[in-house]
Amino acid sequence: MEASLEIPKGGFSFDLCKRNAWLESQANYGSSSIIKKAKKTGTTIAGIIFKDGVVLGADTRATSGPIVADKNCEKIHYLAPNIFCCGAGTSADCENVTEMMASNLTLHRLNTGRECRVITAVTMLSQYLFRYQGYISAALVVGGVDSTGPSLYTIHPHGSVDQLPFVTMGSGSLAAMAVFEAGYQEGLERQPGIDLVRAAIQSGIDNDLGSGSNVDITVITPEGVQRFRNLDKAEPKYKSKNPLFYPKGTTKYYDEIISKVAIIEGDAMEQ
Amino acid sequence: MPSYMPGPGVDVSDPALGTTIMAVEFDGGVVLGADSRTSSGSYVANRVSDKITYVSDKIYVCRSGSAADTQAVADMMRMYLGMHSLEIGKDPEVPTAANILNQVCYENKNYLMAGMICAGWDERNGGVVYSIPLGGGLFRESYTIGGSGSGYIYGYCDANFRKGMSKHEAQEFVKNAISLAIWRDGSSGGVIRTVTITKDGVEREMVLGDKLPHLAKGWCP
Amino acid sequence: MSSIGTGYDLYTTSYSPDGRVFQVEYAGKAVESSGTAVGVRCKDGVVLGFEKLVISKMLVEGSSRRLLTVDDHVGMAVSGLLADGRQLVNRARDEAASYKEFYGEPIPGKVLAERVAGFVHAYTMYWSVRPFGASVLIGGVDKDGPFLWMIEPSGLTYNYFGCAIGKGKQPAKVEMEKIKLNETTCREVLKEVARIIHSVHDDVKDKDFELELSWICEESGWKHKMVPKELAQQAEEEAKKALEEDMDDE
Repeated sequence: MEASLEIPKGGFSFDLCKRNAWLESQANYGSSSIIKKAKKTGTTIAGIIFKDGVVLGADTRATSGPIVADKNCEKIHYLAPNIFCCGAGTSADCENVTEMMASNLTLHRLNTGRECRVITAVTMLSQYLFRYQGYISAALVVGGVDSTGPSLYTIHPHGSVDQLPFVTMGSGSLAAMAVFEAGYQEGLERQPGIDLVRAAIQSGIDNDLGSGSNVDITVITPEGVQRFRNLDKAEPKYKSKNPLFYPKGTTKYYDEIISKVAIIEGDAMEQ
Repeated sequence: MPSYMPGPGVDVSDPALGTTIMAVEFDGGVVLGADSRTSSGSYVANRVSDKITYVSDKIYVCRSGSAADTQAVADMMRMYLGMHSLEIGKDPEVPTAANILNQVCYENKNYLMAGMICAGWDERNGGVVYSIPLGGGLFRESYTIGGSGSGYIYGYCDANFRKGMSKHEAQEFVKNAISLAIWRDGSSGGVIRTVTITKDGVEREMVLGDKLPHLAKGWCP
Repeated sequence: MSSIGTGYDLYTTSYSPDGRVFQVEYAGKAVESSGTAVGVRCKDGVVLGFEKLVISKMLVEGSSRRLLTVDDHVGMAVSGLLADGRQLVNRARDEAASYKEFYGEPIPGKVLAERVAGFVHAYTMYWSVRPFGASVLIGGVDKDGPFLWMIEPSGLTYNYFGCAIGKGKQPAKVEMEKIKLNETTCREVLKEVARIIHSVHDDVKDKDFELELSWICEESGWKHKMVPKELAQQAEEEAKKALEEDMDDE
């Protein structure tokens, strides 16, 4: 660092190379590093296309590092009356990007006088995320029903889009996908569809550290939207065998002796 | 970052990511081929993805590299070609499309990870194949291969490609080559997709992962 | 002139009550008082000619060119205010270059004409600018063969087999209609263009003029070039001879 104090005499300055080498050396010290690794917030979100619509599912855990920040948050966001979106990643990014898109889609609907299409929402979202080159940390599952029928997409934070009949995202996506790969079939009925997504999210909750608490489900069909908040609730984590309050007579006894005691007035020591 | 090719990502611990894409000229048209694997780190984010993307009625592109980047580039291509065909009042030609693709890839080379193949048919040039590799650059070729899986099939392709193949021969050539690449390349997989473009239109085909031609031919060791 | 004093002819931003934009029409007048430009699209190429009125005998021959090259395969004839016309040529050069850069091939005539016309039209819509006092002929060869377009100060553009603009456009057009354009070659049409320009030139009102001739055809290597001196002189002599014969006949 001495070099920077001298007045350069011309030519190249290699101060930044020194700094970069130092930064690089710091980067490899794991969690104590001064360079923070990209934060990955845990979530399980999933969606499938069934016979007449789309089922979206999500867990309800929000984490902040190793701490569960919210035990019952909502991860299925509204985009339009016929389109909903599950978000994984940084919750602030998911919240804000979906809220902004919901308002843009409202304007779009008022301008066109038509129901929004899912592909419109997906295109707007993916172009927005692409513009920010992955720095908006939102991994989305977008599902809905429009004039073209039911459709389901995933959008990655960098803006790439996939269209599939069943999708999962977030840190619990592997667990959830395993359930889908085993149980998904084309032309699923409504209830089996809901149950499959429930099982997938539950698998994320059970097997992924980043996911937990309850299962939220949203079902979108041409007839309308049904939202099930906390369709499955987490079981109480710990139940003590012993009650906190003991009723009278809890302690057993085997014998009872009652004796009469006479109290004589006066100081016994006097005698 | 889901991706079709090895390279730097946000997650530095990403193992090899990849794809296999190719395009071949034949008498009267072109055949484009690709595997269907999109990976994110060691996870297969999509096992049935479509890397052969429409850009105009008789021009398609094969995408390799970052999924987000190549999708965005293909979207731009579609817009530019749409505006261009309105301006000239007819269908765009393949060299024009390839030149636009090169412009977009070259101008933004510092921000993109996109290795593309542009192929199609037009009245003036017939079936034409162009390759636009990672940093830009425009190369007309009678056949071309790309993506991480391509390294395994240069030998097969050079040994088996002939000029003036029939449509069927070209399709078989593409399927065999992609099949072999899938077999050797861990980051290529899923199904084989092909798109055949001729004067008469566009045909899409898919070979399922358990019906790969090299399995039937007993080429697997 | 019904427009004068009404106040409707001061800016392009207001119409007259009968729906005219007088400033654009005045720009047209600037073209009508200029030398005549003639463009001919024949079966194997395009020939452009211009009657360049010489304001002084001391001018260097070949200065203040009216026939200009836009791209290898495109030429432009400017009638009207030369300074205004040069802006259009510059714009056309930019459009041609950027088209070639982006699409990797020479700009088609139609696209060039429409883009320059859009530029011209933009200057008829704002209070702060004046419409171009120039009309241009755009001639050349593209993938579909020879083309000839004309752009007016209003921003309208037309596709022609043969076209004339400037002072002598009426008689020139009458003369051109007599030629079977899709049967003649550039070589043959050279002397016709020379003759037409000589015939429409008004010896009494106007001073001397210099004949500019350019073409795009196989002989010019499919590039826009001025017609070689000997050929141009030969065409001009033949034209003069033909005109004299006509005079004698009368």
